[in-house]
Amino acid sequence: MGAGCKNLRSTVTGRMTTGAAIFRIDGVSKSYGGVKALDSVTLEAGVNEYVSLLGPSGSGKTTLLRVIAGFEVPDVGRVVFQGRDITGLPAHERGIGFVFQNFALFPHLTVKKNVAFGMMNGGVAVPAAEIDQRCQAMIDMVGLSGLEDRGVEQISGGQRQRVALARTLVMQPKLVLLDEPLGALDANLRGRMRNELRAIRERMGVTFLHVTGSETEALAMGDRIVVLDRGRIIQAGTPDDVYSAPSSPAVAHFLNRFNLFDGTLTAGKFTGPFGTVASPHAVRAPQDVYAIRYDRVNVLPLTATVSGPALKATYIASEYLGSSVMNFFETSDGKVVEVEHHLSLGAPEIYVARQDYLLTWNPEQAIVFGREAT
Amino acid sequence: MTDATVARKRRLGPTWLILPGIVWMALFMIVPIAMIVYVSFWTQTTFNISPTPTLASWKQFFASDTYIGALWTTIRIWLIVLAATFAIGYPTALFVGLFVKSKTLSTVLLVICVIPFWTSFLIRVLAWRPMLGKEGVINIILLKLNVISHPIEVLLFTELSVIIGMTQIYCVFMVGPIAFMLGRIDRNIIEAARDLGAGFGRIFWKIIFPLSLPGVVVGAIFVSVMVLGEFATSGALSGRKVNLLGNIIVTQVGSLKWAMASVSGVILTVVMGMVIAAFLRIVDLKQEL
Amino acid sequence: MESRVLKPILAVYVVAFLLFLYGPFFVLTILSFQQGPDGGPQFPITEWSLYWYKQIFGLTPPSRIAPLPVGEALIRSLVLAFMTMVTSTVLGVMSAQAFRRKFTGSSVVFYLIVLGMMVPGVLTGLGTSLLANNVLGIERHWYTTAFATHVAYTYPFAFLVMLAILNRFDGSVEEASWSLGVTPWTTFRKVTFPLIFPGVLSAMLFAFTLSLDEFPRSLFAAGGSGDQTLPLAIYGTFAVEIHPNIFAFGVLTTLFSFALLSVYGILMGLSVRRARKLAMQEDIA
Repeated sequence: MGAGCKNLRSTVTGRMTTGAAIFRIDGVSKSYGGVKALDSVTLEAGVNEYVSLLGPSGSGKTTLLRVIAGFEVPDVGRVVFQGRDITGLPAHERGIGFVFQNFALFPHLTVKKNVAFGMMNGGVAVPAAEIDQRCQAMIDMVGLSGLEDRGVEQISGGQRQRVALARTLVMQPKLVLLDEPLGALDANLRGRMRNELRAIRERMGVTFLHVTGSETEALAMGDRIVVLDRGRIIQAGTPDDVYSAPSSPAVAHFLNRFNLFDGTLTAGKFTGPFGTVASPHAVRAPQDVYAIRYDRVNVLPLTATVSGPALKATYIASEYLGSSVMNFFETSDGKVVEVEHHLSLGAPEIYVARQDYLLTWNPEQAIVFGREAT
Repeated sequence: MTDATVARKRRLGPTWLILPGIVWMALFMIVPIAMIVYVSFWTQTTFNISPTPTLASWKQFFASDTYIGALWTTIRIWLIVLAATFAIGYPTALFVGLFVKSKTLSTVLLVICVIPFWTSFLIRVLAWRPMLGKEGVINIILLKLNVISHPIEVLLFTELSVIIGMTQIYCVFMVGPIAFMLGRIDRNIIEAARDLGAGFGRIFWKIIFPLSLPGVVVGAIFVSVMVLGEFATSGALSGRKVNLLGNIIVTQVGSLKWAMASVSGVILTVVMGMVIAAFLRIVDLKQEL
Repeated sequence: MESRVLKPILAVYVVAFLLFLYGPFFVLTILSFQQGPDGGPQFPITEWSLYWYKQIFGLTPPSRIAPLPVGEALIRSLVLAFMTMVTSTVLGVMSAQAFRRKFTGSSVVFYLIVLGMMVPGVLTGLGTSLLANNVLGIERHWYTTAFATHVAYTYPFAFLVMLAILNRFDGSVEEASWSLGVTPWTTFRKVTFPLIFPGVLSAMLFAFTLSLDEFPRSLFAAGGSGDQTLPLAIYGTFAVEIHPNIFAFGVLTTLFSFALLSVYGILMGLSVRRARKLAMQEDIA
């Protein structure tokens, strides 16, 4: 595992997208009562970059954000922001924005006073006229005009989200940390806010570090995705990189886009419930796992003959997802296999419930993990 | 700057916030109590006191019927008042905490119980005089009802009047905590027991009472601490006939017998410590609250 | 079954209990309207009058019964209660704020503070006067030694109230403020304090009323007659014969307490109503 880690870390730091690094954290670890929330994490982000930090709950992603913000002090490691070591700097001297999952608006202040709060009470004195002008511009930009004098308890969830964002962005930070900012919104609003977040960021030219537990959100929003598991970064790359080449079974699992099969990898051949398949390009991992994307599985009648992998499975049900249909099959040992059919590729096949089908795929499109791989 | 110094800098915040409180309590509570222990070993002459260590005051305390009597009176009255506040308070708490279904009503009832505390403590004590006296309200009512033919004289300026007064003043401290614990009992448990055919008596002794026990202990600690430290009620309602350790302390200080007052103070502290420790043995409060 | 029988019995019992609780005060109130200056502190009421109330305010001609010596004592008590309130609330807020982070020895400190409300006033009073009188050799006054013991008694109450409030306080608004570049102190003034203010108000109320009525601590720790607080003045009347004027005074102080409670209630009600109004408007929107 140790060797794998080093390997991954170099992937992370090597993958700079645009310009110079705006911040870097270096070998940061943090434990709570013996439990390691962060385990020597190293991460960089460039100027004007959108980084998604994906991980299940308990993976340490929020802790990482809090360390960068200055709400927590790391046990070891350094935090560097704009070329300056800020590890020991208190939060209010960092100039890093933070958007909370619960928004954390000041409930006793109006929308406008919330937005103006940092400028009015911060260390740098801002002339009243400028405060007014910047506030108004920001309120207009996030689309809250007309609500300036409302109390923040008098506006909807989506509007609160905008206030939280405006309050942070009006301070013109170079880096904004977002802790599951869409988590408190309903599904409909979440989709809309996703686009707005991206648009606002592009207009402001600021680096976003967005923590999320949702793989859809991470894939949709980030210029770059960093996957965190049990306090370690296990993969970093563009959404496309991560999506098409998850570096470990864990990443494949988080992405929620792959059917994963246990089996054994010996001498470049993977033996699983679907037979034995040649797998020359296996990825090194602590266990032998075979992964195939939901939308790469083909469904054939049971009578069909196939040369590659073949898996007998019973059709259970399907779920309509708008742009695609998800079909659920069950193998004889009770494992559920998901098959996604994109509607852009034509009308979906109609399968008969409780009838057996043959599932197959092009082995070239599978991702194979194994202990013997190099 | 190393990481360790950063962490230390952070931890200084709470230290500065808590320090004034610690200093205040140490100077004006811990040191004074230590002073009582210290001065109890000083040498007392008629009008003077000197720090020469001696056991004289201690010997005098244990040799005197008055002082030993005060100790026993204190313990006796404490036990009686404790039992009385419990006996009188528990049914009220049972009603307020368990039988009243509406949260609002039970809050209102509790507030009604607390309202008398808005009258000054000493006035509340004094108010018992026209109640209990020979020409007091209780005697008048009993005479009118022909229950008695002559006024009862033992009502006022006796140990009984002290007990009645203290019970009334302190029983609310029993009602509150018990009602709070009873209010936290999951009604479904009681319903389930009833469905299984358990009668109220059985439910009460097997479920309700054990679950309310932490409240009883908290109430008992409140009442004990206050009754043991009393002297005003006993002074005002017994006509100086009932002397508690508290009264001894007041009298001794009044006549500048600091050493003897201190001995009584130490004994009071010891009694109180034992009582509280005993109660905390019954129920582990940290676990319950 | 049984509860149907038991409930009305208990209800009747509770009424009797409340009578027991309130009885003495009703009697005291009635007797405060006794005729004066010759009417005694017992029934029957020879004639209804406001004599004793007038006497308290010095509106009656001098008689053989001296007016209560409460004027200056009342002022002293109010000033002392105010000083105690401010000090113990400040200490309470600070300590409760410190307890939001775990620190070494926090449970010892917790018990040290809470002990202050458990130790009987006789003991702290005696100890403080020993310390002042016999060791330090300083004079005892209501505004020095008595004040110190009052705070040692009321500060634990303020502390517990604030602890309960801050336990429910969501710290992310403070972090939000820091991340906007606002210093922790300004954050406390502009964010934390306004949000915990209802709790502060309760702590103040606790401290003020406890101090106003505090008797054993003052008895020992305040000095001579020039240091009498209100409870001490009342206690002074115990020794000699009592008259209905003390009853009238009891009624007046109770009314004062109610006035205080009403002000508190109105202030709390206003902040609660404001919150509810906001919540309602949110529901509509």
